[in-house]
Amino acid sequence: MAELELDSITKVFHDGDEEIVAVDDVSLTIEDGEFLVVVGPSGCGKSTTLRMVAGLESITSGAIRLGDDVINDVKSQDRDIAMVFQSYALYPHMTVQENMSFGLEESTGLSDDEIGARVEETASTMGIGDLLERRPDELSGGQQQRVALGRSIVRDPEVFLMDEPLSNLDAKLRAQMRTELQRLQEELDVTTMYVTHDQTEAMTMGDRIAILNEGELQQISSPLECYHAPANRFVADFIGEPGMNFFDVDREGDELVSELFTYPLSDWMVDDLGDTSELVFGIRPEDVSLVDVASAEHDFEAVVEVVEPMGDENTVHLHFAGHPDSSIVASVGGLQNVSQGEELAAHIPEEAIHLFDRQTGKVLHNRRLDSEEAVDATL
Amino acid sequence: MRDIFARRKSDDESTDRSDETRADGGVARAGREKPGVVGRTRRALDRRFGEDFVESAPFWFPAFLLMALFVYGAILWNLVISLTDYEGFGLAGPDYSNLDFEMYVRAFNDSNVINASINTFVLVIGFTLTTLVVGLLLALLVDRGIRFENTFRTIYLLPMSLSFVVTAQFWLWMYNYDNGVVNIVLGTIGLGPIDWLGNQSIVLWAVIFALTWQFSGYAMVVYLAGLRAIPDDNYEAAMVDGASTVKMYWRVIIPQLKGATISASVVLMVFALKAFDFLYALVSGYRPPAGTDILATLMVREAYQNTNWAYGSTIAIILFVMALLIIGPYLIYQFRRDNL
Repeated sequence: MAELELDSITKVFHDGDEEIVAVDDVSLTIEDGEFLVVVGPSGCGKSTTLRMVAGLESITSGAIRLGDDVINDVKSQDRDIAMVFQSYALYPHMTVQENMSFGLEESTGLSDDEIGARVEETASTMGIGDLLERRPDELSGGQQQRVALGRSIVRDPEVFLMDEPLSNLDAKLRAQMRTELQRLQEELDVTTMYVTHDQTEAMTMGDRIAILNEGELQQISSPLECYHAPANRFVADFIGEPGMNFFDVDREGDELVSELFTYPLSDWMVDDLGDTSELVFGIRPEDVSLVDVASAEHDFEAVVEVVEPMGDENTVHLHFAGHPDSSIVASVGGLQNVSQGEELAAHIPEEAIHLFDRQTGKVLHNRRLDSEEAVDATL
Repeated sequence: MRDIFARRKSDDESTDRSDETRADGGVARAGREKPGVVGRTRRALDRRFGEDFVESAPFWFPAFLLMALFVYGAILWNLVISLTDYEGFGLAGPDYSNLDFEMYVRAFNDSNVINASINTFVLVIGFTLTTLVVGLLLALLVDRGIRFENTFRTIYLLPMSLSFVVTAQFWLWMYNYDNGVVNIVLGTIGLGPIDWLGNQSIVLWAVIFALTWQFSGYAMVVYLAGLRAIPDDNYEAAMVDGASTVKMYWRVIIPQLKGATISASVVLMVFALKAFDFLYALVSGYRPPAGTDILATLMVREAYQNTNWAYGSTIAIILFVMALLIIGPYLIYQFRRDNL
């Protein structure tokens, strides 16, 4: 078990004369025993980063340290890492038993008896003890998934690398495995780097999450911090489903003006903005509440376009009154009765808004949290 | 009331059943109530050989008839001839009244036949194994993402497109004792000259070498297709699991080429059994170099040079049985895997 450190990692692919920067100067540290989720849209360089740690991809510049040793030039075989692949990559001609013992046979000097004992022990904790004699093509997707996990767990490596291991499972099984993986990782206490494009996995599983876009690290912090205090507009947009509402606004004195609405600001907010006047206004759907009539200064008249009932909540798509091309999404309680075409008012509370610099995308102001201490404790 | 329901139910069921056969693409049977003799026979055939046996006959029966007559019929006729004593150019043709296994007894006691069988066996096994090994090594090297991969693949496959006659002719020149390129090259490092085609104990291996040269490209292509089917992450998983390159190939990749190995070796073995053309072209005659006489050459020599028709047929049947022993297990393997 060890700390894994990526120090200004860069990866450049060459396609003819063209240079494609897949990973651009990424630095991050995964503490000993920490579960770090790397998340981002497809093509953001997250898998490439993971493969560089695994030694399957060369590093253009920068250093990867495992414990105190730089492992840039250590061959994949000698890195003492275990990886779970998206397609599981089980060896089709071997039984589950052989699949699981292969790594131990190749990377350790353990005797056959010891290997057998360890494989059996791991298999029974993974609940695949009765499948040991089967071949991968005789297993269901979920069982193959468990074997792939068991195969890396049995090696007891310094670092676990997981490349979207749950993406081939159906939704129910995925939720179940998500919990199980978390429990396992906690039990084993192994440094884990987990790559996914699924933000639910990122939010629920990681101690911290690292968000990548176009090869660049956008933010690395706890899931709740990424959600409530995004570092920039990309993070705010990427995390959260349905996504945050954004509006381009210009600041005029202590008002935010857009063609859709004029939003008065309090003094305590104005300080955060400095002298930037071109802004992006952001509000999460669940912070928008729907009221019958616009009675306060932060209420705006809107018309309901579509209601998507989810049971526990309704996702309501609206447009601002008089602007049928505009769009704002609100999540309201499942029992609040909203119907299509209804005219009402969207209340956008001042405490919940985010403001970003329109040029750089950087955040200028994040929402205020009611009890800062409570969130701090979870960060 | 209950009776009505029961009858309705059974009616529904029978309708369902007849619908099912129609949905299968079969023809709904009109004469279901009173099947005549034809109808009964047809239904019996269908039950025995599967749905639509009779209806589909126009599609498969003509081809079946041609194959039966000209391939399997010919084999059967050959078997019958081998049981006669037919020889020479008699006007009467073979005498079918007196069939016995005399020719087989003669063959099993004939040192020529025994010798040719051993040579055939060595040729089949030696050629197939070396070709598979060379082909596998070439495939593994070409598959490593080298530059000009397609060019190399074409170069290695090209000899396969040559006819046996051409290959035989220029290996004849290359193996020439005095000025063949093989002896000249060996001479520069102080070896030889070696009489490749004249020395009885090495001539068979010289032939095997030449055939391997011609067919290892084919084995390579079959293996390449097999390698392409193995996903990259299998290599990567083996690497992350700590396997060295050699171990990775030996334990993870090569075992997955089992199917490719089996299909390539069946084709190669059949080629080896047919090496007659090569040996015939090597000497332009029925008598191959001493030490390379195989069943195919012996068979043709006995039949067409010595006009021992029955004896030639007997050797042909022995060769046929050997081929069957090779093909049989393959067919069973394919059948078990539901590929037949």
